[in-house]
Amino acid sequence: MRFMVLIAYSMLATVATASGVQAQRLGVARAFDLERRGSYADAVEAYGKVLADSPGDVTALLGMERSLTPLGRIPEIIPLVRNALAEDSTTGAIYAIGVRAWAQLDQPDSLEVMVVRWAAQHPDEETPYREWGRALLRRQRRDAARDAYLRGRSALGDPSALAAELALLATSEEDHVAAAREWALAAHRLPGYRASALNSLGQTPERQREAVLRQLRQDTLVVARRLEAELRAHWGDPVGGYALFVTTLPDDPVQAIQIIRQFLEQLRSQRSPAVRRVQGMAYEGIADRSTGPQASRMRLESARAYAEGGDQESARRMLARLAGDPRAPADLVAGATATLIDVLVAEGSVEDAEHRLEEFQGGLSGEERLALRRTVAWGWVRQGDLGRAGRLVASDSTVDGLALAGYIALFSGDIASAVDRFQGAGPYAGTREEAVARTTLLALLQPIEADTLEALGEGLMILHRGDTVTAVAQLAGVAESLPDAGGGAELYLLIGKAALANGDMSRGEAWLRKAAAGGTQATAPAAELELGRMLLKLGRREEAIDTLEHMILSYGGSALAPQARRLLDQARGGIPRI
Amino acid sequence: MRRRSFIKQSGAALAAVSPLGLGAVRYLGEAGPWLVVPMDDAQDDHLKAYGVTFRALKRGVKCEWFLNYRDGSFLIPADDATVRDAQLSGVTTESVSDGALLSIRGEIAGANMEAVPLEKAPEVAVYAPPDAAPWDDAVTMALQYAGIRFETVWDSEVLGAGLGEYDWLHLHHEDFTGQYSKFFLNYSGTAWLNAMVAQNESMARQLGQPNVPALKLAVAESISRFVTDGGFIFAMCTATETLDLALAGADVDLAASYADGDPIDPNAASKMNWDRSLAFENADLVLSPTVPQFSNIDGHQVNAPARRQSLGSFTLFSFSAKIDPVASMLVQNHREVIPDFYGLTTSFTRGTLKPGVTILADEPGAHWVKYIHGEAGKGTYTFFGGHDPEDPQHQIGDAPTDLSLHPHSPGYRLILNNVLFPAAKKKELKT
Repeated sequence: MRFMVLIAYSMLATVATASGVQAQRLGVARAFDLERRGSYADAVEAYGKVLADSPGDVTALLGMERSLTPLGRIPEIIPLVRNALAEDSTTGAIYAIGVRAWAQLDQPDSLEVMVVRWAAQHPDEETPYREWGRALLRRQRRDAARDAYLRGRSALGDPSALAAELALLATSEEDHVAAAREWALAAHRLPGYRASALNSLGQTPERQREAVLRQLRQDTLVVARRLEAELRAHWGDPVGGYALFVTTLPDDPVQAIQIIRQFLEQLRSQRSPAVRRVQGMAYEGIADRSTGPQASRMRLESARAYAEGGDQESARRMLARLAGDPRAPADLVAGATATLIDVLVAEGSVEDAEHRLEEFQGGLSGEERLALRRTVAWGWVRQGDLGRAGRLVASDSTVDGLALAGYIALFSGDIASAVDRFQGAGPYAGTREEAVARTTLLALLQPIEADTLEALGEGLMILHRGDTVTAVAQLAGVAESLPDAGGGAELYLLIGKAALANGDMSRGEAWLRKAAAGGTQATAPAAELELGRMLLKLGRREEAIDTLEHMILSYGGSALAPQARRLLDQARGGIPRI
Repeated sequence: MRRRSFIKQSGAALAAVSPLGLGAVRYLGEAGPWLVVPMDDAQDDHLKAYGVTFRALKRGVKCEWFLNYRDGSFLIPADDATVRDAQLSGVTTESVSDGALLSIRGEIAGANMEAVPLEKAPEVAVYAPPDAAPWDDAVTMALQYAGIRFETVWDSEVLGAGLGEYDWLHLHHEDFTGQYSKFFLNYSGTAWLNAMVAQNESMARQLGQPNVPALKLAVAESISRFVTDGGFIFAMCTATETLDLALAGADVDLAASYADGDPIDPNAASKMNWDRSLAFENADLVLSPTVPQFSNIDGHQVNAPARRQSLGSFTLFSFSAKIDPVASMLVQNHREVIPDFYGLTTSFTRGTLKPGVTILADEPGAHWVKYIHGEAGKGTYTFFGGHDPEDPQHQIGDAPTDLSLHPHSPGYRLILNNVLFPAAKKKELKT
């Protein structure tokens, strides 16, 4: 019987405790709701009821702090903090409320006492000093805040303690050198601070940057030199920055890869050639520390970055290594081979490119092989070796192959074959611009009676290679030898436009006038339109209007007439010149 | 099949078989001494067709406007200058013999059509500040694109030499209440608004006016006299609404203090004299200087988010070409329904229109109309709501409209109808 009574009492006590907790939770919820609705005075009352039953309830105490602040009644929190600490002297959050309250009341002695009591409870923690400093900073007392942080550092016996706080404080005072010193300490202590350090130091005004770099260079910590390297890269010296950066990498490849990736991430948004070269180096660095497909993929990335950065030599080195790696995945090898051949052709190593193509063509699809053969053939065309170019595309019956064969024939002076090949290629080979260029050439070539005209081919090849001055000089001689209706006018139109594009206005105008005077129903309106455009550009408005009017009245059915009318409207001021 | 549709299709069929390019002369049968400038869908450039006709008139050539014949075609003698001009402009013309013309006249006589002689190119003036952005006024753009010569006049010309030498005056987005279109609300401090204020204040001082609202009232009254003395005005956008508000409020302070130094008269509404206005009456005024509206004349209230109405489309009315040729001229078009477009004043509420106003276009079912015409004294006025027919939501600073991309714009055609109609030979209306 006695045993039964004990059990009953025990059950009643449990139920009572449970209902007390439940009531407390409800009280906090109600107070929070009042606070959320902005009824701070009612919230204070509600939180007060909870704290009366449970003085150490941190949730209620924090709510009370939030509600008293907008009412300007923060002194009322002090007795509540004391009550709370009397019940629970170990919870840091209660001390933090006390620290903030004393700081707001501008009572430095009481504030210090609170921090000391808190630190005594937790002698290994930075938090009491961090809260102390923060509370003082809210009162704009920077010197006192610095003293608080330094006192914490001293008390903890750790020269890197509270470094991030001191760095931010230094930054706010625009002392970027001191900030650099502290950020290095912070990042050394906790690597996660690296990104914050870079972000903060990255904002350093230009005039202080050298001093910041000097400070980091003098630092004995590896992380300081790494910060220096990354800041150099960020501030416009990616190559110098990376050269320094690699000296800071650890031997452990996994750690090194992670650090290199962080460096790459910093440069992610930049695409200048120098940055692309550095990205190439960084990818190469990862590849050298990796194995298997990862290494191959990084080499391909590295090659692309080098190529885009203009370092064809390094790109070629990466690709050659990748292409020659028997363990590399087949798709990467194919991609690398294609990129390598592009790189080799671009740098003029066409012989080498052709050699590579012959070596690797077994691993390429038929279409890829043909496309690369055309790439190499264009390389030979640019070098003037039309025979080798022709042999490479001799068996290529695609429209792109025919278009290229047309150019090879044209540059050889074989007009008849060129016309035949261009007609075969039709409008489908290459881009729209390439198709328009072929059509323009066809218009030039078709009226020419001769089957071969080496001087024309040679001149057009020089023009294709970008030497406009030499090309137009040679082609002008050819144009003089051709009758107007036999391709002469078309050739004058071509070299007139080329001369204008090259800034040679007087000769361009003269040749366009010859094309307009001797041209056919297709060439003359094109020449007059071009002439009108040029005259308008040069500010010779009246002449432009006369020319355009002549074009419209003489060739009203031309497909170019609407363009001429629009230009005429602009010349007359009838529509805005946008 | 309705006659109009039949004619449209006939014209289109003729155009389709023509082997010539844009602006070419097409031959209907044998080549003749006349050119018909078709204004239906066979036309390659509707807007420049007005320019070709205007320039022919300028050269002293007598032309005719065939109202409702192929959507308002023109007849011009086939002289070399006109043929050349049409070809340069890309305007479609059709060569017509005397016999074919006789047949056309027979068709016109038997239908709701009319041949209106055009005798003299009107002298055209545009009211705009001297340094007005050339591409910020639909009428200026239309005139320049069509190649119709015009003079620019501003306050000193209007109040000085007057408008006597002109037949036709265009007003666009001027605020005749002198409050800078209430741009102070959204654009205060911008360089262009500062320049506009400085320019207007300087002009007021130069012309001996105490402030800008007083200056604009004097200009509005001068324009009103120009109309009653026999002139034609064509107004768009804010000029429509504020011209009438300024005239009716001549004895009332309608301007906010930023414009004239003292606040708006709180009893302004009761002091308005609507006998002085041209088209509107009994409008409710918006007196708050912080609300970017003037009155309830505008049906769309583009700058009042709570009352702003969305854009629909407006329909042109049909008139009897023989009985009411003026209204017919103003609505000649190859489209009957036209997409609407905003302006500071977009439309006109029916309730504020004076009883004698002719509605030329409205949005069916809506309480606003778009395009109105009326007589005042010996002259007439035409008001067209909105800013730019091809830029429905035009904003300050937007790129200018390039009319070579809109050669068939039906909205711009309405503007150009207004330019040519003063060229029509006046004759007594049949009753």
